[in-house]
Amino acid sequence: MSIFFRKFIIAATGLFLCIFLIVHLSANSLLLLPEASARGLYNAYSTTLRENPLITAVSYLLYLSIIFHVIYAAIITIKNRKSKGTGYRVNHKQENSTWASQNMGFLGVFILLFIVVHLVNFWARVKLGIGESVGLDVDGNTDVYEITYTLFHNIYYVLFYILLMIPLGFHLHHGLKSAFKTLGFYHKKGLRVLAKISLVYAFVMSIGFGVIPLIVYFK
Amino acid sequence: MKVTFKIWRQDSPDSKGELKTYETDGLTEDMSFLEALDHLNEKLVLKNEKVVAFEYDCREGICGQCGVFINGRAHGPHDHMTTCQLHMRSFKDGDTITVEPWQAGAFPIVKDLVVDRTAFDRIVEQGAYITAKTGTAPEANSIPVPKEVSDAAMDMAACIGCGACVATCKNASAALFTSAKINHLNKLPQGKAEQHTRLLDMTKQMEVEGFGSCTFTAACEVECPAEISISSIAEMNARYVKAKIFG
Repeated sequence: MSIFFRKFIIAATGLFLCIFLIVHLSANSLLLLPEASARGLYNAYSTTLRENPLITAVSYLLYLSIIFHVIYAAIITIKNRKSKGTGYRVNHKQENSTWASQNMGFLGVFILLFIVVHLVNFWARVKLGIGESVGLDVDGNTDVYEITYTLFHNIYYVLFYILLMIPLGFHLHHGLKSAFKTLGFYHKKGLRVLAKISLVYAFVMSIGFGVIPLIVYFK
Repeated sequence: MKVTFKIWRQDSPDSKGELKTYETDGLTEDMSFLEALDHLNEKLVLKNEKVVAFEYDCREGICGQCGVFINGRAHGPHDHMTTCQLHMRSFKDGDTITVEPWQAGAFPIVKDLVVDRTAFDRIVEQGAYITAKTGTAPEANSIPVPKEVSDAAMDMAACIGCGACVATCKNASAALFTSAKINHLNKLPQGKAEQHTRLLDMTKQMEVEGFGSCTFTAACEVECPAEISISSIAEMNARYVKAKIFG
């Protein structure tokens, strides 16, 4: 398999995950509403998603995207390390590139750790029924809001969910703008615009996801 | 002017290298970096020591021979500059300057600061030319080429194959070099006929040589003396898809 194919997979899955994050953050913003309306809307939304066969299909695509993104990133990182050979005694790479661009794998490990914890907290309980059972709300929907509310009243989880958004932000900033180049977008002015969009996107995602647990904590 | 050089010394490809320290006096700010190394070598000769092996040719920034890693940067502290164009005025009296050879699996060390860059030649052999016999120089205007196309091709042709892109890349990727060679010809009408085979053959060789894959850190475009942009790599990626579909 060629260098290009492996990179195309990472870029394409990465872009898909970036779109997913927009949808995810939009849904999470329901948590910011006053509790009475937030609980009903949030639970109704998550039930609607789970019962929609199209969304179920997209969710499988999502799992596959994460798995392929991680596997191919690991393969490429190992191959690239081999290509480099022994490193320099003195290397001032911060003078010609950003720290994030040099450490995407390192940042990715933190994000993977976050995804595992996040799936155990929510997905495992709601979808797989592993762990403490989940109750129903007054409308008869699975009370995902209650899980969120309880989780984000544990300060350790709140801190974990906030701090892990920092590597996410750096990873998204470099990843998003690079994905377009990997997929062959080479218009110079367009790339400059995309670099700015990537920065805004990374800020909105990391701050958006990071601030919600904090707000729920003080609710 | 006095500086302390810490220079990578390695007798042969298989021997173990190490950084050796040389206190060097009598330098002037007007000396180019290579002249400073010449100065050091003259002193070493007088002391009956082995001189430091390093490559150079034109000493005017166009041949791409003098690539070395200076104080943690390809070709030294400035962006877009070859080693021969670097002058001692870029350093302060009393500075310690670490000089290392390019580090990449595909660029094995020959001796001291000299590395084997023939991997680049083998990529070029895979199609960085047109196979038609052109004879003597043809009439320049017999094939009309729009100005923006010839300018863009010329930007790519500016690559001198110095290897700084590979040397500075954390993945030792040759994507900037290979893309420049491919895009140079694939943009021009003379290169169009073989554009897909050129791209597929050259990129395949790039992989065979053991160069890594590009992760767009953009370090290469900062160090490239010819200021070739990483959008060139994105263009190669686009052409790769095109070659796979139409090639």
